[in-house]
Amino acid sequence: MKTIYINNNKYNFEGEPTILEVVREKAGDIIPVICHHNTLEPHGSCRICSVDVALQKDGPRKVMASCHTPASDGMHIFTDSERVVKLRKNIAELVLSDYPEDKTEAAKNKLPTEFQRLLERLGVYKTRYNAKETHTDQEKDTLHPYIKSDLSQCIRCYRCVRACDEIQGKFILNIYGRGYDNRIIKDSDSSFTDSECVSCGACVQACPTGAIYDLYESKIQPYDKIVHTVCTYCGVGCNLEVRVKDGKIMGIEAPDDAEVNAAHTCIKGRYAFEFYNHPDRLTTPLIKKNGRQVPVSWDEAYDHIANKLNKIKEQYGPDAIGGISSSRCTNEENYLMQKFMRAVVGTNNIDGCARVCHAPTAYGMQKAFGTGAATNSITDLEHTDCILVIGANPTSAHPVTGSKIKQQAMKGKTLIVIDPVKTELAEIADYHLQLRPGTNIALLNMFAYYLIKNDLLDHEFIKNRTTGFEEFKEQILKVNIDEYERITTVDKHLVEKAAEAFAKAGNAMSFHGLGVTEHYTGSRTVMLLANISMFTGNIGRKGVGVNPLRGQNNVQGAADMGVQPHQGAGYLDVNDPEIQKYYKEKYGIETIPEKEGLKIPEMFDGAINKTVKAMWIMGEDVMQTDPNTQHVRKALEGLDFLVVQELFPTETSKMADVVLPAASFFEKEGTFTNGERRIQKVNKVVEPIEGTKADGQIMVDIMNRMGYPQKGYSADVLLREIADVVPFFAGVTWENLGTNGLQWPVTKDGKDTKILHSKEFKIGKGQIHFFDFEETPELIDNRDKYPFILTTGRNLEHYNSGTMTRRTPNKDVLTEDNLWINPADAKKKGIKTGDRVRLISARGETYIKAFVTDKVKEGVLRSTFHFPEVSINNLTGDIGDIETLTPEYKVVAVDVVAGG
Amino acid sequence: MAKDKKQIRIALRNCGFINPENIDEYIARDGYQALGKALEMTPEEVIDEIKKSGLRGRGGGGFPTGLKWELTRKVEAEQKYVVCNADEGDPGAFMDRSILEGDPHTVLEAMAINGYCTGASKGLIYIRAEYPLAIERLKIAIGQAREYGLLGDKIFGKDFSFDIELRYGAGAFVCGEETALIHSMEGLRGEPTVKPPFPSESGYKGAPTNVNNVETYANIPVILLKGSGWFASIGTEKSKGTKVFALAGKVNNVGLIEVPMGTTLREVIFDIGGGIKSGKKFKAVQTGGPSGGCLTEKHLDIPIDYDNLIASGSMMGSGGMIVMDEDDCMVSVAKFYLDFTVEESCGKCAPCRLGNKRLYEILDTITQGKGTEDDLFKLRNLGNVIKDTSLCGLGQTSPNPVLSTMENFYDEYLAHVKDHKCPAGQCKALMSYIINPDACVGCTLCARVCPVDAISGEKKMPHVIDQSICIKCGACFEKCKFGAIFIE
Repeated sequence: MKTIYINNNKYNFEGEPTILEVVREKAGDIIPVICHHNTLEPHGSCRICSVDVALQKDGPRKVMASCHTPASDGMHIFTDSERVVKLRKNIAELVLSDYPEDKTEAAKNKLPTEFQRLLERLGVYKTRYNAKETHTDQEKDTLHPYIKSDLSQCIRCYRCVRACDEIQGKFILNIYGRGYDNRIIKDSDSSFTDSECVSCGACVQACPTGAIYDLYESKIQPYDKIVHTVCTYCGVGCNLEVRVKDGKIMGIEAPDDAEVNAAHTCIKGRYAFEFYNHPDRLTTPLIKKNGRQVPVSWDEAYDHIANKLNKIKEQYGPDAIGGISSSRCTNEENYLMQKFMRAVVGTNNIDGCARVCHAPTAYGMQKAFGTGAATNSITDLEHTDCILVIGANPTSAHPVTGSKIKQQAMKGKTLIVIDPVKTELAEIADYHLQLRPGTNIALLNMFAYYLIKNDLLDHEFIKNRTTGFEEFKEQILKVNIDEYERITTVDKHLVEKAAEAFAKAGNAMSFHGLGVTEHYTGSRTVMLLANISMFTGNIGRKGVGVNPLRGQNNVQGAADMGVQPHQGAGYLDVNDPEIQKYYKEKYGIETIPEKEGLKIPEMFDGAINKTVKAMWIMGEDVMQTDPNTQHVRKALEGLDFLVVQELFPTETSKMADVVLPAASFFEKEGTFTNGERRIQKVNKVVEPIEGTKADGQIMVDIMNRMGYPQKGYSADVLLREIADVVPFFAGVTWENLGTNGLQWPVTKDGKDTKILHSKEFKIGKGQIHFFDFEETPELIDNRDKYPFILTTGRNLEHYNSGTMTRRTPNKDVLTEDNLWINPADAKKKGIKTGDRVRLISARGETYIKAFVTDKVKEGVLRSTFHFPEVSINNLTGDIGDIETLTPEYKVVAVDVVAGG
Repeated sequence: MAKDKKQIRIALRNCGFINPENIDEYIARDGYQALGKALEMTPEEVIDEIKKSGLRGRGGGGFPTGLKWELTRKVEAEQKYVVCNADEGDPGAFMDRSILEGDPHTVLEAMAINGYCTGASKGLIYIRAEYPLAIERLKIAIGQAREYGLLGDKIFGKDFSFDIELRYGAGAFVCGEETALIHSMEGLRGEPTVKPPFPSESGYKGAPTNVNNVETYANIPVILLKGSGWFASIGTEKSKGTKVFALAGKVNNVGLIEVPMGTTLREVIFDIGGGIKSGKKFKAVQTGGPSGGCLTEKHLDIPIDYDNLIASGSMMGSGGMIVMDEDDCMVSVAKFYLDFTVEESCGKCAPCRLGNKRLYEILDTITQGKGTEDDLFKLRNLGNVIKDTSLCGLGQTSPNPVLSTMENFYDEYLAHVKDHKCPAGQCKALMSYIINPDACVGCTLCARVCPVDAISGEKKMPHVIDQSICIKCGACFEKCKFGAIFIE
């Protein structure tokens, strides 16, 4: 315990804080700062935070910058001595000597900037130090759709540069020149538009003046309230602070104290919000009459739906009806959707978009560990020594987590990337194992082979906590490693070195994405990934584990809530009589469906075979996002009745018999569960657009209409019901979620869990499985005619089908999908960057613009699927993961032809 | 080399006596014996010897060298570095360059000893690219030392390996500051960062790093060979050994001198320097380079050491010493140094970046004859703000030339702002060329050379200069054969 005297008051403190940190903790915000920011490393450039320091009582005093000077035992700090008050004012005057005179106070009808507030606090509005030479005539840079600069107002605090370096890790902003004439530049002195800027807005949030600002002038807009909520775009689960005035969103910032995303979001989270009141929004229920969708009242729509569903149920049985829930919706809504299907309709035909993304993760991790969820937390990155990223491009698809991984790699932690594409992380990785798409199994077996052959194992862990190791060892030592080398196209020595680095790291942590799951052998790959963590003892403590980067904001939650045909809410098997009894009791019903339901691809097959007659799709554009679009079209056309809940007209909603206009996440409350099992509050930011209803409210309405008494949609009430049904939600209540949420399992007393499996697995011992490499039938059947492998992925600026992001200025940042092709292939095919090319598979064809790059190897093509103009899923096939049927988006046999 | 009287050569002992491109000549003068001796001792014993010698950093900071080594030694790490700061940047100072060009092996030998003591196997010399000859000689010396097994693996057959590489600086003054120097070596902006962490804990690439200046290193082998007691017997109580100064300005003998600590300024300027040129009157001496201060007549008998110079309002710095006479305007001198500081400020912290520019502008206003007494208040106030609040040593010392000249020559400042006169006659804007009608014979020569036609008058009649047109170029003054034009 150390002692410090702040303005003659005695306090005790511990650890190694700076003077500023101690003073803030003990005495509050009594030291003004400007270059300092809590989310950035101390910089010590503005010197405004200077204080008088004596090392002993009545000792000589020295002026020190409090932001970077460590507090030491017995120090006497004087925060407002006459001298330091004078010094601060003088510094502020110096800053004003090179700052526009008309910007010292807030602009008309705007809030003051942080710097303007500082001036007010210091009582300085004018400078005595008149400058002969100033920099207040800089040209503005306003061409970027979101981020703008007026560097005349720059006070050289370098917060923007540091935010770009320390938070985002892009190094776009730099300081050019030296001394008095130094200035902030973008890249090599270009503009935001021409630079490699990823529009995360961290610089905007960091800037204390109006020097870097955004389209919405988010920080100086007057507001009625700031609503804390959670981003709807990906599974990272970024917290957002939304400014609202007169029922309109004025701008979004990231809370500085958010555990998930302190001061950081990506372009989507911070800026892509204008979809919410876009004129395209559906605002009335529609019923298809004579082939045309016409507006009707909610009552008419509900009656029509209830009638139709009851009739189909009567005629064909409840299993002729299928439901697809949405990982974009809240836990409460997903819970209601599956409850509606099971307790009201009476079928287990309920599935969700996890089917097309992370179902193999849930399945594979359940098989290996007993729990199908991330074992650790993202903050564990600070405690790890080695990061393995396989089949994931987090700097685009999970940007905030991607940046955190990049930051750690730049700090010298070992980074291993296994990916067919040279991703941003692969560029800085210590080991990039650039395998041929579809060969994850072979590569991970090589990895495991070297762990075992070179005895890089945690024998203790293997012995005490796993079963199946000896069988695995016997099998793996028999494999032909040279054959694997040929299949994967990755140098076996490189794999050996990477395996050694992983095993010797101390703490090693793996992250995987859809490049693992969306394969013929997706579930198996997940199990092999679990193996290598178990072999090296990297389970059950900080900085280790197997961590799926969940795709959608609530894909974890949707599965937790029972949006799966084989398991109900809380992952309880629907074919177990005990469980059936449990659910009957909880739902207060007499009968419950007993056999496992259909998965999404099975529902489509059923629709084509006429065994499925009706479907209800909540918030998913299956026509654009599911594979083999023509097959999906045939299925939806084969249905007698299709209900779609949506924000916007989509290719799918156009085919519906009934369209129900839903409210967006800004317009409702509930909870999302992010990829690290963190249940977070979604708060209502604005009222629903007139004519729309929250998806949950729609479910409640229809349940009541069909005779099931379900209480109205409220997060608080529903969470109580969920906590009663889902065991690992036992202690979750709306109140105790707080601002940073809770990570499940949450025990009855409200305690949450950061790390899973620390003592034992849910299933006792960790299960080690062996699988040999199997070529996907997609290639076996088609590669002769279609010699290229197309692998699909995501870009930073758009979210999946782009329904939302294409209705925001993001469309001006990234305007189209394109096809990456290796220069050698491009040369052979006579293709240049910018050419429109024809892309053909066994299912169909499309036209797309080419982009020649060595980020893909020869024989491999890569594209996104954000734009309906391209509709890349016309090409993708019917092969799915052997265990879960998750489509193989990552390996499609295609050919490419020059000339559109 | 100026006159040898009162000088002792330790750091410069070999300069001029050996062929710097021949390692044998260095060895013939006891070269690398100190390294051999050190390797027979424990690192602790060597550090103890350096500590006992009382050697302090010659780059200007004056931090005890032995203590610095010990701090780096105590930090546990797999990789450590020792660095030689050869980023000599003070205008007029060239002692480091002379050592590097004249005796490169002494630096290599000392760095190896440093590596042995601190536990570093790698040495880096950060040298400015403007020193091509020094770079060339260092390269030759490193090559020869490697060839002789004095650098590389198992030096002297002991379990000690050490090698040295060069790193080039682009000549930014601030890169002499050790954290800025380290950043520059890492390929980053040459900007200081906050301390702690000190380089001894986290320096080059995050590894513990010991940075010493060239002249400091040059003392090391001698201390080990002749003993700390011998070294400590030279100098004052708290400043031991000798110091090399670059004597320049208005003295008769200019050049490098090496004198024991404790020698007075009077001895340096009048005995070694041979007094003021042209029999003019001594006015001031700037020590410590642009970060130092101006000392006057009253300081001439103070023994020069780290502490006395600071107490007098100046500093040791790297050993620049510029002597001024009665013709020097102290406001202009301060402005000259500020011009340098403004140019060399990295721009990171606000007081240095903005404050020095404003200081310069105020000084400029004063030398233009447009200053007021309020400007003098601003100068002093601002100078203290910069001194108290700047991030690194450059900023903290940059107002010294202003503050010390104001302290010692306030009347001269007052003359500029109150009477709009420059007593030394240096500030052109404050001068008037005037024709003495009694002496003017009306030869018209002045009117003919005046580039702006400011001079008028009939032939054989006294001429007049129109002050509103005159640009004070002095052409008339130069040309007048009758001494009729004078400066007021």
